Amino acid sequence: MKGLFLALFLSLCSCFFTKKQSFYTNYNLKESFRYPILSEPPTLDWNKSTDRASALIIQNIMEGLTEYDFSEKEPQVKAALAKNWTNSKDNKVWTFFIKDNVFWTDGERLTAKHFLSSWERLLNPKTASEYAYFLFPIKKARKYNQGIIKDFKEVGVKIGKQGELIVELEKALFYFPYLLTHTSTFPIRTDVIEKKKALWTEAENIVTLGPYKLYKWEHDKALVLIKNDSYYGKAPSIKNIIFYIIPEETTIMNLYQSGRLDVATPLISRDLPFLTKRKDHYFHNILSLYYYGFNLKAPNLKNKKVRQAIIHAIDRKEIVQLLNRGNPISTSFLPQGLFAYNPKIGLNFDPEKARKLLKEIPPQSLPSKIQIFYNTTSDHKMIAENIQSQLKKNINLNIELNNQEWKTYLQRLKAKQVEIFRLGWLADYPDPDNFMNLMASFSENNHTGWKNERYDSLILKAMVMKNTNLRKKLYDQAQKILLEEEAVVFPIFTDVSHILISPRIKNYPLNVMSYILFKHIEVKQ
Amino acid sequence: MSSFFSWIEKLLGPTSLISFFTLTGLSFFYYKIPFFLVFIFIISSLVCFFIFIIKKNLLLYVLGRILEAFLTLFIVSSLTFLLLRGLPGGPFDQEKNLAPEIQANIEKKYHLDKSLTWQYFYYMKGLSRGYLGESYKYTDRNISDILKDSLPVSIQLGIYALIIAFAVGIPLGVFAARKQNTFFDQSSMLLSISGVSLPSFVIAPIFILFFSFYLGWLEPALWEGTLFYILPSVVLGLRPASIIARLTRSSILDILSHDYVRTARAKGLNETSIFYKHILKNAFLPVLTFSAPLIAGILTGSFIIEKIFAIPGLGQHFINSVTNRDYPLILGTVLIYSSLLILSNLIVDLLYTYFDPRIKLS
Repeated sequence: MKGLFLALFLSLCSCFFTKKQSFYTNYNLKESFRYPILSEPPTLDWNKSTDRASALIIQNIMEGLTEYDFSEKEPQVKAALAKNWTNSKDNKVWTFFIKDNVFWTDGERLTAKHFLSSWERLLNPKTASEYAYFLFPIKKARKYNQGIIKDFKEVGVKIGKQGELIVELEKALFYFPYLLTHTSTFPIRTDVIEKKKALWTEAENIVTLGPYKLYKWEHDKALVLIKNDSYYGKAPSIKNIIFYIIPEETTIMNLYQSGRLDVATPLISRDLPFLTKRKDHYFHNILSLYYYGFNLKAPNLKNKKVRQAIIHAIDRKEIVQLLNRGNPISTSFLPQGLFAYNPKIGLNFDPEKARKLLKEIPPQSLPSKIQIFYNTTSDHKMIAENIQSQLKKNINLNIELNNQEWKTYLQRLKAKQVEIFRLGWLADYPDPDNFMNLMASFSENNHTGWKNERYDSLILKAMVMKNTNLRKKLYDQAQKILLEEEAVVFPIFTDVSHILISPRIKNYPLNVMSYILFKHIEVKQ
Repeated sequence: MSSFFSWIEKLLGPTSLISFFTLTGLSFFYYKIPFFLVFIFIISSLVCFFIFIIKKNLLLYVLGRILEAFLTLFIVSSLTFLLLRGLPGGPFDQEKNLAPEIQANIEKKYHLDKSLTWQYFYYMKGLSRGYLGESYKYTDRNISDILKDSLPVSIQLGIYALIIAFAVGIPLGVFAARKQNTFFDQSSMLLSISGVSLPSFVIAPIFILFFSFYLGWLEPALWEGTLFYILPSVVLGLRPASIIARLTRSSILDILSHDYVRTARAKGLNETSIFYKHILKNAFLPVLTFSAPLIAGILTGSFIIEKIFAIPGLGQHFINSVTNRDYPLILGTVLIYSSLLILSNLIVDLLYTYFDPRIKLS
């Protein structure tokens, strides 16, 4: 009995002394914006992060030398931390003057040194950053990353007399300022990292300079950003941004409908027919291409007439209608909305021509069965099945479908143990080179085994040019080789993003890069 | 000496129980957990456990089992380590293929460029010091930190679900057995068979639709307080509750036909005391056997429930770490699960001797 009393007493004491936990539901709604992210950001270390969830948060707590400007038809860049920049006549040397009224959250002033140390860290082989290649255009940067050069001073970045950042490139590159919008190139405080080690990205340690600062990070649960009062630019209008980590799209929809989220994205395909009728539904193209590729090392696909026939036999419209997401079809390898996009390039749906092409091939060398490989998701499956039935119907070609778990699929792709495969590409930066480069002989992402000197030289020539008609012509020529003459890949459609935005939110940025800066968003009072 | 023991036991037994339920209650109502109460709970439970072992003369047995556990964990981790390397695809394979030098830098950082034997000994060396390694996916985060953040959430949810499972399952089974072949019996068994056979990803959306959208009483997802806790706990507890109800019912009915029950009746004992003293205690053994894997499974989190309700628990890491080929995290989750399974099996084995003194462990 005594024990019982003692225990009860202790428990009562503890109830008396404890407090309610502060929780995320306890915010002022008028000052808050609530956004779902599908996964925990793997890291907020911007030299190391590679995924979209991390990038979304980093873009809002940090800034780079430049940022995107979507006011024009095609994406442009404008100065952010840079006051302005100049480039030499041969376009190989770029000089960035840095704003002098920018302060970090711990009060230190931003200087070019912070860029230099960030870039050194990004390129250092010990950091093992996946996005080190963003700075490979800089002179000797690649060698430093390979460990051939040990001294960073040899790399083409230095600080000028007036504290400006001078960058020397290997080759002239007009889109170099585009690369500097990427989170991996943002300035960094190595002194903070040295002091706090791996824990420097936690809310209590991180030092940033963007419009928002990280206030709280509960792993796997939520992140809270609050307005950074020492931000150099125009103060953002919303005070708190709450990112909830919600791995399931249906749950995002449920929370949006119960008023716990201000935005619902991504939306589930099967809900779209109902959702597109709503007033809070928006959708826009993104610079991302869904394509099928042919493995030219596979005996069945060596003959280019077979490849051309397959492309001619597939009606892209049917696929897009089946998907029902409003994707624009694409015969071009460049997605709609990008410079040099040309809808007239590429092989069209023409079953007559497909059958004619197959007739030109001696019957004994016609493949009896071709395999399509894709990674297991319902959308990929639906598309592959549709292509299977179209090829059977239009050119009487037997297709075997082969689906695999993602990593297994990637390994097969690398080992070239595929015939026809599916892939997609989302732009790292809005320049055609980012797409055209994929199919070059020197690209790590060319899974087709196709090599073409003419193509390589065309895209290398176009890479260093300004966006002019001539550049466009070069890309047109290159695409003609890739898509028509050689028929190596088969673009299907451009991706779109569907989103529900609560009517209480104003100025939500919708753009082709899904580049979201929360500083522009406002809450209707 | 034994009187001292029993005095301590009388003092600490209830303390441990009450502090456990107070802790559960506090967390359920979203209060901060007072550290000293956790401390009291752990100390009092440990002391009670030791007294129980000493009284039953099981010290050597338990020590033997603990040694065995280490051996099992060693084998489990070695096997997992080797099997993982047999999986196709590596942790850093992704849609955007990396340049060879970048790939090499990454492999060097995580020692993936060394031989498999070297990696194995390196891992085991770390493990012997309690170091589980660094995650490949969550850059620069230690596996122990990830487990430390997510395991408590899963345990919290698991405890609510277990309380529901036992508090609903046992009484339901008892009443159904007592009122065998009545309408109550049949309807509760129908209910429990649907609880067993309906998967949680079917029940969860129905409950969300009904309780949060139709009635508006509970929150559809997130993990922020009492109203958020109820739905996932109920959905998670429903299946074990149904299984327990069915187990309890059938084992009671089985025992009802035993000779000693007839003897007790012949002696003229009243029905209530026959039921609670002679039948129920014995009928509890199958439920106990079922509890060991149940507790380990539920405390380490459920992938589906955590995903549907956006709960930051450990369950998601079981699946996601495999999808990401995050070897250290896979090993960490496997080790946690096996440790809990071994521990709950040990506790259940010890509890057998309490419920049925004829059982001798040696």
